[in-house]
This record gives sequence, C-alpha cells and structure tokens, in this order.
Amino acid sequence: MTRRIEMDSGLMKAALWTGVALVAAMILSQGILMHFIGPPSPDLTAQELAQKFINRTGEIRVGCLIMCMFWGFWATWSMAITVFIRKMEKGYPILTYCSIALNGGGYVFFILIPMTWAVIAFRPETLDPAIMQIMNDWVWFDYLFTWPPFAVWMVIIGLAILKDHNVPALYPRWVAYLNFWCAILIFPAGLIVFFKTGLFAYDGVGAFWMPFFVFFGWMVAMTLTTFQAITRHRRTLEVKAGIAADTSARAL
Amino acid sequence: MPTLLRTPASVVWLVLVAATAFSWTLGTDHGLGPDAQQLAGIAILAVAFVKIRFIGLYFMELREAPILLRGLFEVYCAAVGTLVISLFLFAR
Amino acid sequence: MVTLPDAEVAPRTPRPGRRVPHVPGEPGAWIFILGDMCVFAVFFSVYLIQRGHDPGLFAHSQGELNRNLGALNTIFLLVSSLLVVLAVRAIREESLRHLASRLFLGAIGCGGCFIVVKAFEYHEKLAAGITPATNDFFMYYFVLTGLHLFHLLFGMAVLTVLWRFARQEAPLSHYKLAFVEGGACFWHMVDLLWIVLFPLLFLVR
Repeated sequence: MTRRIEMDSGLMKAALWTGVALVAAMILSQGILMHFIGPPSPDLTAQELAQKFINRTGEIRVGCLIMCMFWGFWATWSMAITVFIRKMEKGYPILTYCSIALNGGGYVFFILIPMTWAVIAFRPETLDPAIMQIMNDWVWFDYLFTWPPFAVWMVIIGLAILKDHNVPALYPRWVAYLNFWCAILIFPAGLIVFFKTGLFAYDGVGAFWMPFFVFFGWMVAMTLTTFQAITRHRRTLEVKAGIAADTSARAL
Repeated sequence: MPTLLRTPASVVWLVLVAATAFSWTLGTDHGLGPDAQQLAGIAILAVAFVKIRFIGLYFMELREAPILLRGLFEVYCAAVGTLVISLFLFAR
Repeated sequence: MVTLPDAEVAPRTPRPGRRVPHVPGEPGAWIFILGDMCVFAVFFSVYLIQRGHDPGLFAHSQGELNRNLGALNTIFLLVSSLLVVLAVRAIREESLRHLASRLFLGAIGCGGCFIVVKAFEYHEKLAAGITPATNDFFMYYFVLTGLHLFHLLFGMAVLTVLWRFARQEAPLSHYKLAFVEGGACFWHMVDLLWIVLFPLLFLVR
C-alpha cells in the first residue's frame, strides 16, 4: 500500500514548463520569423506598414500559427502558481478566484495578438493599408495597453506570499516584493496612447522594451522560484505523510 | 503626542521644510543672469540630494540599519546627486 | 504559529552600549525600494540629457509650470512623511498605539491633497492646450509626474493597509510590524522622489 501526497509534482512542473515553451515560442515566432521584436514604429505611413506584411507574409502566417499554439499556455502556466496561491491563503479563496479570473481572461488577450496578425497577413495585397494600420495598432495596444490585469495579478501573488501561513513558506519573501515592483514597472506600457514617436510610443524604450524585459524576466523569475517551491513543498508533504524523514534543521 | 515628537526626525523635518522654502525662493524668476541661474540650479539640486539623504537616514531609519544597506543608500545619494548635477551642467 | 526565518526579520532589542543593526522592514522590500530609486535615477538622467539637446525649449516650457503648486505638493508630502514617522513610533509603543491609526489617516489625507493639487495642475495644462505630445519637455513633465503619481497611489494603498494594522486589537506580529516599517519606507521613497523631481522639473533652468 503506497502512500501518496496530494500534490502531483509532475503535472505541476509540466504546467510550469508550458510557460517556458511560451517564451521560447515567442522568440522564435515573434522575433525570428515575424521580426516584430520590437514593434514597427507607429509613425510609419499605412503604406509602409502594409509593405512589412506583404514582404514577410509567409513568415508571419507560420509565426502566427506557432504563437497561437503556444500562447494559450499562459493559462496553464499561471494556474501552477495559482495552485500555490490557493495553498498560501487561508479561508475563503478570494485571491485564488481573482487569479483564475484574471488569467482566464489573460490568455485570451495573448492569443488575440497572433490571431490578428494572421488576419492582417491573410490578404495583405488587397486589404486597404489604412485598415491594416488600424489592425496593427490594435495588436500593439493589445500587447501593451492591457498591462493592468497582469499588474493586478502580480500584486495578488505578492499579497499571497506575504500572507503565507505554511511552514516552511512556499516562496521566499523577496519574491513578493519583486512582484510589487514589477507591477509598477510595467505601468509605462499604458503611455503608448499618447505618443507616436519617442520613448513612450509603442516601439519606444520606455513603453515597449522596458515592460517587455520586465514582464518576461518576471515570468522567468516566477518559473524558477515556483520550481523551487514545488520541490520544497513536495518535501514538506512527504514528511507529513511519513514517506520521508524530517531532516530539515530548521524551518526554511 | 509630545513623546512621539521628541525625536531627531522632528528637527530634521523642520530643516527639510526650511530647505524647501530656500530652494523655492532660489528657483523663482527674479531676472538673474544665466551664470547666476546656473549656480542657483546647482545649489537647488545639491540641496535636494542632501534632503533625500536626511529622509533616508532619519525617516527611513537607515541610521540604525546594517552598514551594507545604509551604504547602498548613501552611495545612491552621492552618485545620483553627482550624476544629476553633472548632466545639468554639461549635457549637450 | 509561524516560524520566522531567523536572519530576515530581527526584532529590535537594544542592548546597553551596543546598537543592534536593524533592517527597516524586510530585506526583500529594499530590493523593491532601491530598485525603484535606480529606475527613477535613469529617468532623471534621460531627462537631463534630453534637456541638453534643447535647453532653450526646456527653459521656456518650464516657465509655464506652476511652481507654487509644486512647492505646495512638496509640503504636503513632507507633512505626510512626518506623520508616518510618528505613526511608526506610536505603533511600536503599546501605550501610544491608538495614535498610530489617526496619524496614518492624516498621512493618507495629505496624499489625497497632493492628488487634488496634481489634478488641478494637470487640468490647468490641458485646458491651456498643453498635452504630453506638445513637446519633449512636456512629455517628460507628464510622464515623470504621472509615474510618480502612480507610485503615490500605490503608496496610499499601502498606507491604508498600515492604517488597518494600526487599528487591530491584538499586538502586531513580527511580520506585520516589519510590513509597517517597509510600507513606511515605501511612502518615504515616494516623498524622496518628489523632492528630486520638483526642483528638476520646476526649478532649475
């Protein structure tokens, strides 16, 4: 009769790996194939913008297919962390439910990005360039201007970590503060509505590059610390179930 | 309440308010020539970074912090202060 | 109930003759605070470099700013910081803890005044047809003050939590006390950033 712990760490880790796949797919599709890391300037004329889609139609179509397949993984990746949020909060799962709601919507914004690009690249020669321009602007706004729910989720993660009642704690406390900081750092993405050139246009250092690196850097940090949390928590559960001996010298 | 106020931080606060008034006076238009204006600018910026050092040491209680943390903050004040004043003077 | 990681949150136990170094808040909070200060340092530098490209434009546009409102806002933040300092001192003393919640509330009030003045200031500009897209100076003015305002709003949320903590019946746990200190430091950072921003944007030319 084998005793089991209540966490399937294999599945938890697999969910985290889907996030890694998401980032890898982005680099391949958005970057290498589509040449959309960073964005085309909002200052381009409709004709110039249309030409970008006409020149790389094939690459954009393939890239969009790949991106669409992998960007839905935002949902699975975020749920690995959400499971731990459930474990960290006591009582009625308000933070957990908020996380599910925020991320259930989140992946939709993610896959609308490649979907829209694919639609633009569907008939680029005959589609009116002015329409292509609006659709392309729309994509970059979807990419950047929709930062708030993600910032809210970062704050929720931070809150959950600070309120963690587990012994040992699932995450080190600095991860909470890192989340609070990243939530603030992606705010400049909201400034793209005011500018077509310069630092805070949607191709600018302040509004694109900084939030871009902060966001995906945060994904990497959360992936790494959650892997550690899985290992640590698995140990705790095994000790509790009597499967493993308690060799920890002190809590955390 | 009086017990609460009996701390160096209260005196520091008065100094900060006075410094703000000083900077505000220096910064308002009074037909200074460009050289005097630049000197005023340096003074105002220097005062600003001295002020933030006080905020860190007395309000954030870094005076009692481990030397590494206090050191990082002091280095920030000195380095960023120097950088800002240099850029103010020399950036073209 | 919760075992504390020893090294991180050291309680204040002053020993006669020797000062025990104490991290205000938690080490993790300082990654946030110092990191944020560095990000602003980058913004300060970028602003000054851009100013160097067109000092005439910057000086002229700066003339349109309302220095009095800016100075008023500095005073509001300084007062709020003092109230926070006093509140943290109060919250540590059992006999004075009841004052802490009122002091935090006062600080929140000052923050509110800052927001009102800032809203009026922005309104003044927008009504005169000045927007972030008007020229480079005003882009930096709106973005830097806007970013600061965002931090202030975050800080007000933190102060609200501190106010709630101050009102609870039971004495505060080590972690809550550490959060109070850390939260207070974040608010002081908001003050500190404005102390640099105000002269940078409004005063020096």
